[in-house]
Amino acid sequence: MAALSTAVILPFGIAAALGLAHYRGPGKGALETLLSLPLILPPTAVGILLLELLSRRAPFGAWLAARGLEVVFTWKAVILASAVMSFPLLVRSARTAFEEVDPRLVGIARTLGHGPFAAFVRVTLPLAWRGVLAGTVLAFSRALGEFGATVMIAGNIPGKTQTLALAIFHDNQIGRDDRALVLAGVTVALAFTALWLTEWITRTRGRRSEA
Amino acid sequence: MIEARVDLPLARFPLHVELKSGAGVTALMGPSGSGKTSLLEVLAGLRPRARGRICVDGATWLDSTAGIILPPQRRRVGYVPQDAGLFPHLTVGGNVRFGVRPDDAAAETAIDTLEIRPLLPRYPVSLSGGEKQRVALARALATRPRLLLLDEPLASLDAALRGRILPYLMRIREEWTVPCVYVTHNVGEALAIAEHLVLLRDGAVEAQGAPADLLSVPGVLHEAEGGLENLITARVVAHDAPGGVTTAELAAGVTVAVPIAAGRPLGSDLTLAIRAEDILVAMEPLPRLSARNVYPARVSALERTGASVTLRCSVEGVPRATWLVRVTPAAIEALAITPGSAVWLAVKSHSIRLV
Repeated sequence: MAALSTAVILPFGIAAALGLAHYRGPGKGALETLLSLPLILPPTAVGILLLELLSRRAPFGAWLAARGLEVVFTWKAVILASAVMSFPLLVRSARTAFEEVDPRLVGIARTLGHGPFAAFVRVTLPLAWRGVLAGTVLAFSRALGEFGATVMIAGNIPGKTQTLALAIFHDNQIGRDDRALVLAGVTVALAFTALWLTEWITRTRGRRSEA
Repeated sequence: MIEARVDLPLARFPLHVELKSGAGVTALMGPSGSGKTSLLEVLAGLRPRARGRICVDGATWLDSTAGIILPPQRRRVGYVPQDAGLFPHLTVGGNVRFGVRPDDAAAETAIDTLEIRPLLPRYPVSLSGGEKQRVALARALATRPRLLLLDEPLASLDAALRGRILPYLMRIREEWTVPCVYVTHNVGEALAIAEHLVLLRDGAVEAQGAPADLLSVPGVLHEAEGGLENLITARVVAHDAPGGVTTAELAAGVTVAVPIAAGRPLGSDLTLAIRAEDILVAMEPLPRLSARNVYPARVSALERTGASVTLRCSVEGVPRATWLVRVTPAAIEALAITPGSAVWLAVKSHSIRLV
């Protein structure tokens, strides 16, 4: 679920980060603050806001329901909650990385015959990939640990919307600490693998261009 | 052939440039912050807010009134910024072949012209300043540009490296015949390499014309107050090891003796640097003089600059050669030098630096 939510936000996060890195117009500060809001707000507050937005009583929720798209208390809600909560982490990290790419290098790529998208793929992304990757891992770990917002809009339905974080809490509440510990072990293994992989990729790939 | 009339609002002043130059090299001079780099970026299409009209070799790149803005990727310019601007994540080979049109012949020729083949597998971080500049030049040439934009390609290099890049620029000038806009602070460079000189000040053109004709504009020589060098190309014709001199030809029948440079093959091109202060002026031919190089010349103009006078002299028998000679006002008075005076210019071999 955490991986899926990360995959969902990746393209949007990169686009938003790129937009913020280059946007210079009015409202930049407000836009950045709005995007970072889920970082500061209690997750339950975000959860209840999403719940209000998506419930059948709200216009947007009703509009979705009319198209047969039920989100609340389904696995889609889990994805949505994790995505909303981890999105700012990806955007912040990727934005910093994009801002550090010398815009003149992109300009040179353009003079060498590449359009804006090709210049992005061949210059901006290869130079900023470490920041983007770091943001992706941060977002993934945030999604893995997401609890508050998920429990508000997805509930805690075993086998359906129960995430690892929720299951650990649930098992502990019903006195099954042994199962909770096993699950905790699983999260440790997942997080460790993801972080270690990132470290490894960053170091081996990094060595080449610094040699 | 470049024809441009562009406006671009900048933070300090509005850039307004009207520029017209033929084929060959256009040198762009002016104090730091006078808008030279911005102008290059406008020509490259990297300043979308620029207004006006740019025509290069009959193709319209920008015409605000007609709504034409050719994006940078379709202008085919070869842009070399001051610090080379190599892509750090690609090898030298990757950089040179980065251009979108896979024109291997051009890339190969560029690699040979700039002698960077041994560098191809290396990454830019491991290159010296001069090597970076050569790679950036090769990368620009590999796309067969219609216009070359060079932003002070020699400024970030020390004197020794500068001397090593200059011959490459001369080669590009001779062999690739691509029109070029060349930003420089060095009058000697401008005189040696450019057919046309544009002087910018605070975003506007202060003067433009043939480089030799612009020496009277205060800004031009003022920039060179520290040292004014004549850069001259010559072809090696003989080495005289016991005599300690290498003889090179400036033009048919006109030779110059320089300190022995046995490493330069016969027939190869040399770039010579002679400081304007190191040239002696005589009103009569000088018999029995230790200086090996004496040339009849004609003074075409005198420019008072600070505590000295800069003479512009055309050397007889050497086409297109304008030498700058710096003497004291007292010497001018004593010798009664006026525009049109016939003089003899003498240069010691050891005052000639090979670059």
